[in-house]
Amino acid sequence: MLDTLYLIKIGEIRLKEGNRGEFERFLRQDLTRRLTTIEHRLSSREGRFYLKVDGTSAKEVEFILSRTPGINAWARSLRAIKDMQSIAKAALQVLEPAMARGAGTFKIEARRSDKSFELDSYGIARALGSALLDAHPDIHVDVHKPDITIFVEIREKAYVYGDGFAGVRGLPVGSGGRGLLLLSGGIDSPVAGFRMLSRGLSLESLYFHSHPYTSQQAWDKVRDLAANLATFSGGIVMHTMQFTEVQLKIKKDAPPDRSTLYLRACMMMAADMVARSRVLNAIVTGESLGQVASQTAENMRFTESYTSYPVLRPLVGTDKEDTIRIARSIGTYELSILPYEDCCVLFAPKHPVLKAQFNAEREAFDHAGLVDVVTEAVRTMQTITLPFSFTPPRAEVRR
Amino acid sequence: MIPRYLDWAATAPPYADILEQATTHATTLYANPSSQHRAGVAAHELLEGARADLAMLIGTTPGRIIFTSGGTESDTIVALSTLTTAAPKSVVISAIEHAALYEQARILKSLGTTVIMVKPDRDGFIDPATVATAIRPDTALVAVMAVNNETGAIQPIKAIADAVHEAAAHSRRQPFIHCDAVQALGKFPVEPEAWGIDGAAFSAHKLGGPRGCGALYLRRPISPLACGGGQESGMRPGTHNTPGAWAFAQAAMRSATMLEQNLARARHLEALIIDGIASIPEARTVPEGRRPGDARYSPYIVSMAFPGLGGETMQRLLDEAGIAVSTGAACSGSKKERRVLDAMGIEPRLSFASIRVSTGRSTTDEDVSTFLDAARAAYAHYRL
Repeated sequence: MLDTLYLIKIGEIRLKEGNRGEFERFLRQDLTRRLTTIEHRLSSREGRFYLKVDGTSAKEVEFILSRTPGINAWARSLRAIKDMQSIAKAALQVLEPAMARGAGTFKIEARRSDKSFELDSYGIARALGSALLDAHPDIHVDVHKPDITIFVEIREKAYVYGDGFAGVRGLPVGSGGRGLLLLSGGIDSPVAGFRMLSRGLSLESLYFHSHPYTSQQAWDKVRDLAANLATFSGGIVMHTMQFTEVQLKIKKDAPPDRSTLYLRACMMMAADMVARSRVLNAIVTGESLGQVASQTAENMRFTESYTSYPVLRPLVGTDKEDTIRIARSIGTYELSILPYEDCCVLFAPKHPVLKAQFNAEREAFDHAGLVDVVTEAVRTMQTITLPFSFTPPRAEVRR
Repeated sequence: MIPRYLDWAATAPPYADILEQATTHATTLYANPSSQHRAGVAAHELLEGARADLAMLIGTTPGRIIFTSGGTESDTIVALSTLTTAAPKSVVISAIEHAALYEQARILKSLGTTVIMVKPDRDGFIDPATVATAIRPDTALVAVMAVNNETGAIQPIKAIADAVHEAAAHSRRQPFIHCDAVQALGKFPVEPEAWGIDGAAFSAHKLGGPRGCGALYLRRPISPLACGGGQESGMRPGTHNTPGAWAFAQAAMRSATMLEQNLARARHLEALIIDGIASIPEARTVPEGRRPGDARYSPYIVSMAFPGLGGETMQRLLDEAGIAVSTGAACSGSKKERRVLDAMGIEPRLSFASIRVSTGRSTTDEDVSTFLDAARAAYAHYRL
């Protein structure tokens, strides 16, 4: 029985009046896909979504709502018949759990679109307020900074709900196009992916593996990170490219201090080819200016010159502490710090070149003849799809 | 069965028949050996029989054998017993000890004990004179292992004990001399009384016995930190693992009867391994000067390095070819796994690229040749 109602506030996309229909369409599509296994009814009215489900699915539904970009906030809403007694009863059901959590003050916000209702908004608030104070003399009204706000809306029925929970906010997945995330096992790239998903860019992910230098555990870790991102994107495609031959050729033919730089250029080149064949619009990386010595503007100019797609670097100006904070909140931090290296230290130069001299470096790189090994790596790329899951993998350390 | 198992130093495949018999004992002679009734007495007899057997094997009396849960516990019983006196003290331990003692020493240090590390020479040996010099009037414990688990270096235990006794001759307190002999029992003659040591740790699963069983030779009484039901003369309280102790003794005796033959075989395999390494350009043993037949090393354990290829990568490639070896160094750079080689002064380029190969009673020539072929191919293709 669809006895539980969620009220979903779609914040940012309400502002784009002209595009609202389009954005709501993306959000509805995303939600519907995530709710495939759950009996539900989704409707929209006046810039909000209403989701009806059976109470037994509450936990799963709330997981979905807390991980879907485009949702500003959501609240479980109670429905009552349009008389003050029923409304008060519903309001208590919202108030009491909040009091148990420590709320000591409240305020009421009432709206009515049914003008035939006996009380106006002010009257509703006053009557309801008294009823709640009668039931709980120890609680107080605070209209400025209440611990909890109780909302009442009189429409064809009376709807009562509390503050609810903050959502991911941002824009619905796909409303901003499709991108390719260069995903590694580090802390940054999953956060970069999350950031772009929140801005409406749907993502495929690409991981560069170097068997036998990198372990199966390193791959498993990246797969687990992608699976966590899949909870925000509603499922995600993960491409794995074997870059061993590229690494070996770079080690053989490139100057030692250029090895990381050339590797990143090859990754961009490969990403460019993948974006083209998968019809994607942008490349996303977790690069951050100055975070490691070789992440300089000059080096970025060099590496990104091997793709014609926009390279989106949402963390380029972000402090590492903030990145870590986001990683913790999206559940990827614990996974990222697992010790399975995705790049063997023997490939890394002791003194990497800091500032690539653009023209000279481009010429040198082109002479190194790396296009063929990169093309071959792209050709043998493997792809898997990680579905949306209610139980994304958590970090487990063996031994 | 692991196709080509060359990681005997980590653990030995158990003797199946001994384990089966032990299971039968577990279900028939199951009474608590501390119980007073007839059934308890029968179990007690099985246990004491095992104790007597083990004692005889190492040339001592049953009263000096304590059964424990393994080599680690045997080491920690001794190490932690130093904490039962409040007086300031120091302990002298070799820098190449197994984590069971090395990590325990860190705990002792955090609790106020001075820990003095004795580094090995470049070939992995602890010098008796260096140990003697490290002794102070307040030294409560000296610990040096019998055979190093990474390099196979056999330590001069008797000479070390002699040097310690001499250094402490005029001291009011004689340091307790402990020897982790986990890699020695079942492979070499172990003679704690002749060596002049006070304690020695043994482990069953290294010689084909069951996991979770070990023993501690104790010549001097100690005050253990852990207390309980008073079993094992109070040295290691807890209900006895009767079938485990029995199986341990059986496996140890079987190893003893085959000791010379197995040692000869091991020397033969060691030669195959070291000559094989020498035939792979730029591969080398660790330490580099090790030659086949060098009696200072256990032939059962050989460390080697393939410069330019991470040890973890080589181990992975061998694993994919069905060959099980151990890494002496981890790509994650975790310090403790290179600790022994670092202490010897082995350069990081080599320790990072090292693996450990260890053989046992059923290792064949073919196991070794398959390993060498696979290592040669992997190195040629993947070295950087």
